[in-house]
Amino acid sequence: MGRKKTYIEDIDRGIYDIRNEFTYKYKADKGLTPEIIKDISREKNEPKWMTDFRLKSLEIYNSMPIPTWGPDLSDLNMDEIVTYIRPDTEMKHSWDDVPEEIKKTFQLLGLPQAERESLAGVGAQYDSEVVYHNIRKELVDQGVVYMDMETALIEYEDIVREYFMTLVPPTAHKFAALHGAVWSGGSFVYVPEGVDVDIPLQSYFRLNAPGAGQFEHTLIIVEKGSRLHFIEGCSAPKYKVNNLHAGCVELFVKENATLRYSTIENWSKNMYNLNTKRAVVDKNGTIEWISGSFGSKVSMLYPMSILRGEGARSEFTGITFASKGQHLDTGTKVVHAAPYTTSTVNSKSISKDGGYAFYRGLLKVAPNAYGCKSTVSCESLMLDNESKSDTLPIIELNNDDIDIGHEAKIGRISDEAIFYLMSRGISEEEAKAMIVRGFVEPITKELPLEYAVELNNLINIELEGTIG
Amino acid sequence: MENKLLSIKNLKVNVEENEILKGLNLEISKGEVHIIMGPNGSGKSTLAYTLMGHPKYEIVDGTIEFDGELINDLKADERAKRGIFLSFQYPEEIPGVTVEDFLRTAKASTTGKIQGIMAFKKLLKEKMELLEMKEEYASRYLNLGFSGGEKKKNEILQMSILEPKLAILDETDSGLDVDAIRIVAEGVKRIKDESKSILVITHYNKLLDFLEPDYIHILLNGKIVKTGGMELAKEIDEEGYENIKLRFAKV
Amino acid sequence: MITWKRIKLENFTFPKIYDYKKEFIRLDGEVPVGLRLDKIYDTIDRTKINWLNSNEIYGLGKEFLSFVNEFYNSGISLYLNSNIKLNNPIVVEFNMDKENPTVIDKNIIIAEPNSEATILFHYCTDEEVEAFHNGFTEIHAKENSSLTIIKIQRMNDLSQNFDTNIAYVKGEGKVNWITVELGSQISGSNYTTFLDEVASESKLSSIYLGDGNRKMDLSYSMIHKGPRSISNIESRGALMDNSRKVFRGNLDFRRGSRLAKGSEEEYVLLLDPSVKSDSIPALLCEEDDVQGEHAASAGQINESQLFYLMSRGLREREAKKLIIEGAFRPVIDRIPIKELKEIIDLEVERRLINE
Repeated sequence: MGRKKTYIEDIDRGIYDIRNEFTYKYKADKGLTPEIIKDISREKNEPKWMTDFRLKSLEIYNSMPIPTWGPDLSDLNMDEIVTYIRPDTEMKHSWDDVPEEIKKTFQLLGLPQAERESLAGVGAQYDSEVVYHNIRKELVDQGVVYMDMETALIEYEDIVREYFMTLVPPTAHKFAALHGAVWSGGSFVYVPEGVDVDIPLQSYFRLNAPGAGQFEHTLIIVEKGSRLHFIEGCSAPKYKVNNLHAGCVELFVKENATLRYSTIENWSKNMYNLNTKRAVVDKNGTIEWISGSFGSKVSMLYPMSILRGEGARSEFTGITFASKGQHLDTGTKVVHAAPYTTSTVNSKSISKDGGYAFYRGLLKVAPNAYGCKSTVSCESLMLDNESKSDTLPIIELNNDDIDIGHEAKIGRISDEAIFYLMSRGISEEEAKAMIVRGFVEPITKELPLEYAVELNNLINIELEGTIG
Repeated sequence: MENKLLSIKNLKVNVEENEILKGLNLEISKGEVHIIMGPNGSGKSTLAYTLMGHPKYEIVDGTIEFDGELINDLKADERAKRGIFLSFQYPEEIPGVTVEDFLRTAKASTTGKIQGIMAFKKLLKEKMELLEMKEEYASRYLNLGFSGGEKKKNEILQMSILEPKLAILDETDSGLDVDAIRIVAEGVKRIKDESKSILVITHYNKLLDFLEPDYIHILLNGKIVKTGGMELAKEIDEEGYENIKLRFAKV
Repeated sequence: MITWKRIKLENFTFPKIYDYKKEFIRLDGEVPVGLRLDKIYDTIDRTKINWLNSNEIYGLGKEFLSFVNEFYNSGISLYLNSNIKLNNPIVVEFNMDKENPTVIDKNIIIAEPNSEATILFHYCTDEEVEAFHNGFTEIHAKENSSLTIIKIQRMNDLSQNFDTNIAYVKGEGKVNWITVELGSQISGSNYTTFLDEVASESKLSSIYLGDGNRKMDLSYSMIHKGPRSISNIESRGALMDNSRKVFRGNLDFRRGSRLAKGSEEEYVLLLDPSVKSDSIPALLCEEDDVQGEHAASAGQINESQLFYLMSRGLREREAKKLIIEGAFRPVIDRIPIKELKEIIDLEVERRLINE
């Protein structure tokens, strides 16, 4: 590689950047070999089929090229990324038992309060392993399963085996293959038929070790007629070496079921966030994505909805905020694979301080998918002229009985709008911040309160000292 | 002269290098209602924007004093804090910002006092009832998707919440039906009754009958060419601007 | 060998090239004062496409453009003096037949400051012939000049059409593009406009019709470099039978294009279940103080419109034809030659009613 790595100072992200003394129990050697993969699998006491799956994925990983169509990944040296780090603790079900250091981090991030106040269950992953998991008893009684993937692999091996990486196969792309080889941690949720989980479940991923990769796997199955809201939060402190996050999310939404999946990804600005998320939706089911991309040095994230059952629906609401030294290549893919399926996409991006926000979208309508409707709207806000913002939606239509609308807009905050607000006594800085908050309001209003507050805080942190 | 609120002397204003106001003089005392009338292009809106401090309007000469203080170089928010309010001819649409949040922020900013959520809600509700506005407008995005009349009502609502010393109404009567004019005029009258000063900038004289102005000024080509009482409005009504223009062209 | 994935142009190779021996410049009467109009091979200055050796790739790509550069057999060199305004359009017509089945035209058009002209290119085939067209048109619109370039392509369904158009527009200059795509088996056309200076302006209006097994790759780019530059792309199309098309519209705001405005709208009517329609409307931006927007929509013919017309006794095909013609009308009406307008109307009608 030989290229000089550039390191960019960024603004204080406050609590998100607190890093802890690094202690661990097991750490795999740098780089990737079948021996390391076998070590990871052995360390986790996995069944043989999973070990084989990992080894097969490694082969695929080695045979695939790094994608060149998107952001520059040449600074990402895979041999430098430590793939498996196990924190120095066993999994806890009571918050009091979680080690002090780790607890402190999650407390700063507001996790325990959130659980007390508004969540049905919480999982917390620290580096590669889930350190804390809890779920309300009444949900357990209704048959809802919410646990870390490792435990699920033992306790619900059949279900995991049936679904695991069938939606995102290791052949999808190089980083999916990598994920298949080294995945660790993540959440498993199973909602049986006809259960309405009316308060959200939440997982939080924290990557603390320097130069580490996080490869958590999230597998959610919502059976017929059920309903779930799942929230994921991700963050990592800042180190001077590049980190990698190549997680994988597989969502199975069955007939008449509804799943809302919300994430705010707030990685540190040395993170390569190459995450793959897919949902498949059966007849009259609904998937709703709420997706916030902040932080990270490079993101490539395109949550995909496959509407395979008649009348299935998808709704995507996303916000991307690219600041100094960041290239955030995000978007969404929707495949209308059955008749009378509908989709809406509402994407917003903000770029400032030389940040590069790229919306990349795909909307595909299969030949048999007649009677489909889709509306796509992309809006980009440029806060200065050092930044960049591109929009590239691809629309592929393969039959005539459809109704498709797409629109995109790009521009800056209007001087007239600022003047209007100022004429009511609001300072210029506050006027601009108000307009930016208004711009992302369609997303914040979809989030649970504490996340909306977090998102607004993030925006304020990002805007601080750069506006006005 | 402590009664004096606004004093404009020899005001010359350029917009993108073109001189629009060419030495305008105007004095407004506390509690007075002034009307500025004039044809299109005479500089009416320029005067309104200049008084509010729009950065595009460049003062090249003259002074604007408000409450005894020179305000030539103050930004719009500073002027608002001192008690100037402009009802815009074309209010901006701000997506994602609700009327209530916006007004609470503005009220806190102009008064320097934090506005309690519940107390403010109550105040807003009262003011909205007076303007016959439906409660749901509080949670709608600022001016977004509002009709012309709703936008103007919303301007008057803002005015009644912020309680300025001087309200400048730029063509607030344009594009309103009879009922809306009545409601808006009543809103303005309430301000007047609190002995606030009002400067109405208008092309027509729809609002006049409701307001009983103290002075009427005719603005032509960047200058006030005539000042008088209600009879002046009648003159314009009968003669039209073209004749008045001709008359003053000769002078 | 060239492959275009989206319209399934696979392993394309260039055919054998024949001379084009027919007259293609149609001029009624004298050459107007201030206009120099020559056949490209008669000019001393055989302008090479200078950026072909650079890394930048424009138009349909290096293969097609190098080919024009080496093998052109026709085309014009048009030079318009300062302050000259032409009232009548200049017409360039290539009517391919068995004797003259190939047109490789290279056209250079230079409009000096304050000049004004309309130039119309018409590519057609009046015989059953496997015609081949690969062209390149380069346009320089200087300060405050105004050019309208009309390209009409109505080659038969056995033919292949490739066309690249690049314009450089200086301060307050304007280039209006009108493109009408009605024929050929495969059609690849590209229009790229560089809005180089202050208040450079360009508007592109496109209509296209896909019938039979036609494959179309239509690509329109507006590259804003100058402050206050203005661009507008409006494309309307209809697809039927097994036709497929990809529309690529790019609005590109480069750093320095302050206060520029660009807009882009694509509307496609889908008339049969077996059509395939791809759209890639890109918006690229490096400057904050600009306004850019694009909209794309696709769907079937409005049912209530159709019902209304049919309730007046029209057959479905006829009603559909009327609606499609209505969508095309604003663009067709901008073609300044009456007889050509009629030819286009007939062609649209023939292709739509063909049952």
